[in-house]
Amino acid sequence: MARSFLFIPGNVPRMLQNLDVFEADTIIVDLEDAIAYEEKDEARELTRAFFRAHPPHQPVYVRINTATQAMFEEDLHAIKDLPVRGIVLPKTTVKSLEETGAFFDEASINFDIIALIETPDAFFSIERIAANPRVKGLLLGGEDLTSATGSERTLEGQEILFARSQVILASKAHDKTAIDTPWTTMDDRALKRDTALAKTLGFDAKCAIHPNQVPTINSVLSPDPRAILQARRILAMHRKEGSMRFALDGKMIDKPVIERARKLLERAEKYGLLEGDRDDTR
Amino acid sequence: MERTVTVGTLESSDCIITLRKEDNPVIDIDTIVHDAFYDHIKRLITHILAEEQFDHLSVYCQDKGALDYTITARLITAIKRYRSLDNG
Repeated sequence: MARSFLFIPGNVPRMLQNLDVFEADTIIVDLEDAIAYEEKDEARELTRAFFRAHPPHQPVYVRINTATQAMFEEDLHAIKDLPVRGIVLPKTTVKSLEETGAFFDEASINFDIIALIETPDAFFSIERIAANPRVKGLLLGGEDLTSATGSERTLEGQEILFARSQVILASKAHDKTAIDTPWTTMDDRALKRDTALAKTLGFDAKCAIHPNQVPTINSVLSPDPRAILQARRILAMHRKEGSMRFALDGKMIDKPVIERARKLLERAEKYGLLEGDRDDTR
Repeated sequence: MERTVTVGTLESSDCIITLRKEDNPVIDIDTIVHDAFYDHIKRLITHILAEEQFDHLSVYCQDKGALDYTITARLITAIKRYRSLDNG
């Protein structure tokens, strides 16, 4: 499971050529908001030429233009045979998902979809969006959402707390990846705090809009050493007791805690944070 | 009316491709890697023009170290834009 999703503009060669060095778990090549209207064709052609010549080493999604625009079909035709994992669908609604699915079927496209949840409408059908089998993750678009609601964006993020919780709950209910909105300033301390809040709430991953944000996001969203140690102890005691219910350090441990420890160690193993006995992850 | 199409930027690793209708079409390349890659870039542009059956215009390439995929993408975009002008 990815921790960081880095947006890269689809019209900048030096960015595309450096995907490998940014250390993001997943890349999102942007054909939408990062690209001026008169450069859309340039970005589409450049993205296509790049991935045909240089298959990526990490998962890549392409944020296409919205399903209500003519550029939606042009974007999909340009990327449909590229070695990318899927698309990020802006302003996702149940209707736009259905239209996208119909287009995929007609063009024999088998892409995954990350649903960008960034309009008030989407929150009234978020459960149906998350249930769509093509959807692999829900991404909260906090800037567009607060623009639509007229909310003031703040450092504390109270204005998007309810939206964040809805994205997390819908994602977890359908076993999809919950991806937090990007932090839009280059203040690393604030990014760290916002990412820590996202982790506390239950997000699996967070978007980055600049490569410099990736190390902070990866670091905060990785299991920390104390949590890894505690998870190891829980699973070791679980094996020793042969039970789903036991006491450790005076606290009762039961099935949900054991499952959480197991998932944490799986993530830690994926990110190369485990040393020694790999049996702990099983 | 003179029709000119320009695509790309002068940022590092990019190039600007300009298509222009002239009596005697030429391929003109201004590159920061002239000694090592001038001939390669000219072959690439000539090849794309032949593939696209589009050799009746002059092509000006201002190159800032673009890789082949970038030159290809910028030239194909320029050709598509020029064709859309013709169709418009």
